[in-house]
Amino acid sequence: MNQSITIILAIFFPVICGAVILLMPKFRERKKLLKASGAVLVLTAVLALCVVTGGDTELTLLYLGENLKLFFRVDALGKMFAVVISIVWLLAGFYSFEYMKHEQEEKRYFGFYLMVYGILLALCFAGNLITFYMFYELMTLSSVPLVLHSRTKEAIMAGLKYLFYSLCGAYLVLLGIYFLSRYTTTLDFLPGGTLDMTLAAGHEELLLTVAFLMILGFGVKAGMFPMHAWLPTAHPVAPAPASAVLSGLIVKAGVLGIIRAVYYIIGADFLKGTWVQTAWLTLTLITVFMGSMLAYREKAMKKRLAYSTVSQASYILFGLALLQPDAMTGSLLHVVFHAFIKSCLFLCAGAIIYKTGKTNVDEMRGIGKEMPVTIWCYTFASMALIGIPPASGFISKWYLATGSLKTGISVFSWLGPVVLLVSALLTAGYLLPVTIHGFLPGADYDYASLKKSEPVKMMVVPLIVLACLAVLLGVFPNPLTSYVSEIIGTLM
Amino acid sequence: MSKYWILTAILLPILGGALTPLLPFKKREQMMIYVEAVMLATSAIVIALIAHGKMSIFEVIYFVRGLSISFKIDGMTMVFAGLVSILWPLATLYAFEYMEHEGHEKIFFMFYSMTYGVTLGIAFASDMLSMYFFYELLTLVTVPLVMHTLTREAILASRKYLYYSLGGAAFALIGLVFLLSYGDTLEFTMGGVLDMAQVGDKKNLLLTIYLLAFMGFGVKAAIWPLSSWLPQAGVAPTPVTALLHAVAVVKAGVFAIIRLTYYSFGCDFLRGTWVQAVVMGLAMFSIVYGCSRAVKETHIKRRLAYSTVSNLSYIIFGATIMTPLGLVGALCHLICHAFMKICSFLCAGAIMHQTGKSYIYELNGMGRKMPVVFTCFTISAFGLMGVPGLAGFISKWNLAQAAVESGNVQAYFGIGCLLISALLTAIYMLSIVVRAFFPGRDFDYGTLQGIKDPTWKMCLPLMLFAAAIVCLGLFSSPLVGFLQDIAAGKY
Repeated sequence: MNQSITIILAIFFPVICGAVILLMPKFRERKKLLKASGAVLVLTAVLALCVVTGGDTELTLLYLGENLKLFFRVDALGKMFAVVISIVWLLAGFYSFEYMKHEQEEKRYFGFYLMVYGILLALCFAGNLITFYMFYELMTLSSVPLVLHSRTKEAIMAGLKYLFYSLCGAYLVLLGIYFLSRYTTTLDFLPGGTLDMTLAAGHEELLLTVAFLMILGFGVKAGMFPMHAWLPTAHPVAPAPASAVLSGLIVKAGVLGIIRAVYYIIGADFLKGTWVQTAWLTLTLITVFMGSMLAYREKAMKKRLAYSTVSQASYILFGLALLQPDAMTGSLLHVVFHAFIKSCLFLCAGAIIYKTGKTNVDEMRGIGKEMPVTIWCYTFASMALIGIPPASGFISKWYLATGSLKTGISVFSWLGPVVLLVSALLTAGYLLPVTIHGFLPGADYDYASLKKSEPVKMMVVPLIVLACLAVLLGVFPNPLTSYVSEIIGTLM
Repeated sequence: MSKYWILTAILLPILGGALTPLLPFKKREQMMIYVEAVMLATSAIVIALIAHGKMSIFEVIYFVRGLSISFKIDGMTMVFAGLVSILWPLATLYAFEYMEHEGHEKIFFMFYSMTYGVTLGIAFASDMLSMYFFYELLTLVTVPLVMHTLTREAILASRKYLYYSLGGAAFALIGLVFLLSYGDTLEFTMGGVLDMAQVGDKKNLLLTIYLLAFMGFGVKAAIWPLSSWLPQAGVAPTPVTALLHAVAVVKAGVFAIIRLTYYSFGCDFLRGTWVQAVVMGLAMFSIVYGCSRAVKETHIKRRLAYSTVSNLSYIIFGATIMTPLGLVGALCHLICHAFMKICSFLCAGAIMHQTGKSYIYELNGMGRKMPVVFTCFTISAFGLMGVPGLAGFISKWNLAQAAVESGNVQAYFGIGCLLISALLTAIYMLSIVVRAFFPGRDFDYGTLQGIKDPTWKMCLPLMLFAAAIVCLGLFSSPLVGFLQDIAAGKY
């Protein structure tokens, strides 16, 4: 099939199908709804795969205005994100077929779930800043219903908080786009940046400020301090599969935004050694430490995982802020690993809630005896996140640390790895107690009341797949690492 | 095309409107058909005139040398007259259903169509005096519309409206007088009409006069601190608030400011002076002020009225950048905002008409009962926020581009104001949307029994306006190209 038609289909097919599901009353019937959503999910994933396996292409869809082009370009970075998104979206989708039984209004959930999928694919394939921004904002708007799905007062307030933080970030980005469109040769993403140095001469301070604001703006979605507060509120109130994709993937949209803006528009060289880099590094390190610390103190399982996302997403941002090839390799690897790990963890938490209704870490004594497979998956994913070799997190953190040491930036080059290590310890501290108390409930545990409550296959299989990915990608990292280094070779 | 068609376009709705209460209609339907026919005929003439293109000056009444009532068609005319001629027949269609229970329909439609003619008069006016004449008339014919319900509140509101507007016009008159003595002519000319030899060392005096005239016209454009009449005038029936207080009357004020700035004083004369800093500062403040008040307000129409205050100042901000690009941004927002705000106002009216509820906390769960109305409302809300792909994004893009291009640091902060305002817009619009579609877990839909979408007469305009918001957002190049030609003085 023609490549450009495939791109359009991959983006708009799920969006339109999602809208149809929302509008048609006949999908109130559960069976029809699941059949339709399942078919659309698989078909979209196949379409996305077709785009990814096809060559690099470009496609100009239409002109919103004179300089406002809707433009898609499939490149190596976009392909990587698209694959990760498709895998997780598909698995979490199948998981929700079972999980959503105990929530109301499934029709609305699946409608928006499909729409966000299409929009995320559009983000991956967006070829210029305008297109990216357009779908970035659409993503925010269409994912709000997922957050406030349960429609409790708490969920609605969390949804609004999510919305306003995200829009705040989006408008900072927009401010940047306004200025960049004046001082760049084009807003299309080109490796190495498109800043027009003759125009920019004399306006460096302005442009640095603009760059910083854009980083802050995209950083909102990635949960970067000081705009992280929405994340631990919004992610946990969503249904578990929605929290999984919010934490695993939508956060990464912010990361993708920063990569596109910094490495493809502004250019890494322009920021190297400036106050922007220093400020950015400081913010990410604060976030890494603070996120882990807050996760460590948190008792509610899903909220703990959300704080963990705050911390882990800033690992990625720290690597990007170093503006150094090895560190960036670590970042991109961590994007992939963290997506699998965090969605696996959230889905495990969801499985526990679904079967036992337990939400607090303290209540989970002996949980490993009740649902061994789930907790084993949880444990493997935790080990990967902590960075115990040979699981995947080790590889990415290794690259981040070595990259940091190679930069030679004063203070940060050694402070970075130290903070990462401390945070890794904290990660172990907040993730492993569930495993330990789960499998080793202690002598006074009442084995008589124990009943097996492993969830059905529909839920367990996605967990196993994700946990395997989290571990195996660490054992065999070379294909991915070389793919990532190729991308970075074009940038720096 | 004969020049007398301009006169026809202006007089037809005025006379046709005046005849409405006199004609012996047997049934309500007959009156509806008659009024709608007058509106459509007028719009057809106006659109034909615009399609015909530029037309030079045409004197109707001659007073003394230099003073006359005369008309012409230039770029600005095309924009404003074209805009109102599209909106008026649709809003009238909506009004037929809305006004069914309000009483005094004949009087209402009389003034409603007369306002159309007067607004066209402002659009077609070729010089300051003619515009001033119709500008005063506009105040007078719209007062009865504000007063329509004859409640104490309505009478107070219309009195305030009258005082504010007449007071403003008086200041505008001062500007007119000075233009007469320091300019070559009163006719609107791109780039200004001031005679620099005469101005000499009185530059500061003229700048002060500009400021006075700006504030005078600024009353109708609801610029802070002269904006308080607008939310209060929201007591008028919704077709009036939607069409007049979101488009015709308030945009006449903005239109007059643009005429004053670009076509009379000339932006070369004003750019970079203290006066530019003052008026731009006022616009920036109004942008944020309007939005903040809108967030606080719980009455749906008053909330939208404050939103209008803010959005009108977007346009004025564009105009006060005082570059051709600024004019493009201003005109672009003038058009886009018209569609977005009339759409949201008509939705608010539809809600009030169907349910009798007018406070935002009463709107829980209505999205499911009135899907068409709330979908249109959501589109207009997204548009006002500036979601890409909708009209608001395009106009804000053009405004921001103009601000960046001008290199004026104050304008950079203006962009900041635009974005703060966009965020506040999201708060005050989306809180309504969320409430309507997600009323909370324990919400009992039984309390909303019997509530449904209005009939096609109300829904059709809504859907057309919503479609226009999307179309303007997706295909703006022809419009923006046309506006650029205007700003370059080609029309």
